[in-house]
Formats: sequence, structure tokens, C-alpha cells
Amino acid sequence: MNNQQKLTQTFVQALGIAEEQVSDGLTYNTIKQWDSTAHMILIAELEDAFDVMLDTDDIIDMSSVAKAKEILARYDVQF
Amino acid sequence: MMKPMVNVPVIENYQVRLRPITAQDLELLRQWRNSDFVREKMLSTALISEEQQQAWFKKMVTDTSQMHWLIEYRDTPIGAVNVKVTRRCDTVVTAQTLEPGLYIGEPNYQGNIVAFAPSLALYDYCFFVLGTKTLHAAVKRDNQAALKYNQQLGYEIDSRGEFITLRLQKASYERQTVTLKSLLSRTGKAK
Repeated sequence: MNNQQKLTQTFVQALGIAEEQVSDGLTYNTIKQWDSTAHMILIAELEDAFDVMLDTDDIIDMSSVAKAKEILARYDVQF
Repeated sequence: MMKPMVNVPVIENYQVRLRPITAQDLELLRQWRNSDFVREKMLSTALISEEQQQAWFKKMVTDTSQMHWLIEYRDTPIGAVNVKVTRRCDTVVTAQTLEPGLYIGEPNYQGNIVAFAPSLALYDYCFFVLGTKTLHAAVKRDNQAALKYNQQLGYEIDSRGEFITLRLQKASYERQTVTLKSLLSRTGKAK
């Protein structure tokens, strides 16, 4: 599984949404499944999947799938 | 005789800084408070005039029954937070029960997880510094976001009517906010 697939699967698992819903444009708080509770689960699962520990500013900034990729890239995760 | 100014402390925690409101903040606060996003969630939805705001500030700076802070994140104002007593004879410092209030006025952070940070910083101050026993909250019945927000901080529902009233005690707060606190207290970079 490449990193893009891993990212998609993490969003699917953490938010409980369909794979088709995961696109770069998917944004925090624009679907009912991605609320603050799910955001905490998402962060934990992203950290687990990519073996990183995000700092608080990055957790706050992670407001979309595109932004998640941008932030993870700073932790040496390539897409 | 002039009443003394209330000593509102600066509180820094969970990446936010809560600092006492000054006269220079009033217009920004009024704009936020009058914005549709903030106003429609308030118990009172009336627009605030400049004169009302000035009168509120003049009273507030010497009123020991309430404390108000501006919330700063990354050195930028993003909202306001306050606590008030629930009984007339109390002061914030001595009250057993307080009622907090919060809004995020900066649109980029509305609905963001950072909105929990000022509450965590303030509640820590209330429970661990002031020794407050209970926090009370009231939210509009249709404001599900606020209800959920409060429940994530450990609040339990007291009563349901036109408003839903909630109550938070220290033990529940501590139990419920472990994950939130850990996510909002990190400063290090990647493993």
C-alpha cells in the first residue's frame, strides 16, 4: 500500500466514511462525521499509520485532506 | 470613591494566551459579538452598540463578579472567554460555582479543535488555582455544536428546556479531557 492509499484508508477508518468521499478538498467540519471528536481519532490513527508524532500547531492546522498531506510531508512522509 | 480595578491574571496554556481585555480590544470584540456566527448562538442575540460596549467595559473593569479575557493564538486575537459568578454575593475568586462563556470570533478558527484550548486553560485556572467546585453552562436547545463541545469537556446535562443547562465537576473534567489536553500541549516535532 502506498502512502496515498494509506492516507485514504486512515480517513475512511477514523471518520467512518466511504473511500469515494476522501479527496484533497474534504475539509474539517464540512461533513458531520469530521467533527472535533473524530478529529482526535484521526490524529491518533494518522500518527499510528505513518509513525509520526504531530505537534499541536499541526494538529490545529490539519483542516483538510490536502493540508494533512502537506503537514505529513514535513514529517518526511512522501505522497 | 473609585472602585479598584479587578486583577485579571494572564493565563498561558495549551498554545493559547488569555490576557485581560483592554479598551483597545473593544471594537474588535464588538464586531465579533455582532457577527451572525457568534450572535445567533448567544442567549441574547441583540446587536451591541458602541455605547453599550463602552458602558459594559467601564462596569466590568471594577466588577469582581466576572473576569474577561481576550484569546490569542500565535500572537493573534481569535476570540474571548469569561467567567461569571452565579450568585450575586460572590466574587470570581471566592465562588464555589462559576459560569464560563466563550466565543471564537476569528472565522479561520471557528469550529477548529483550537477552540478547546481557551476552555482548558480557563478551567484549569478555575479548578486548580481558584478552587472552584462546579462550572455551570447553558446552551440553546438547538445548538448541538455547543452541547457536544461542553460534553467533550465533561459537562453533564442538568435540565432540558428552552435552554439546556449543564454542570461540570473537577473529577469529570479531568477524566474527560486527557486526550484533548495531550493533543493541545505538544511542542516537539516528529519522532
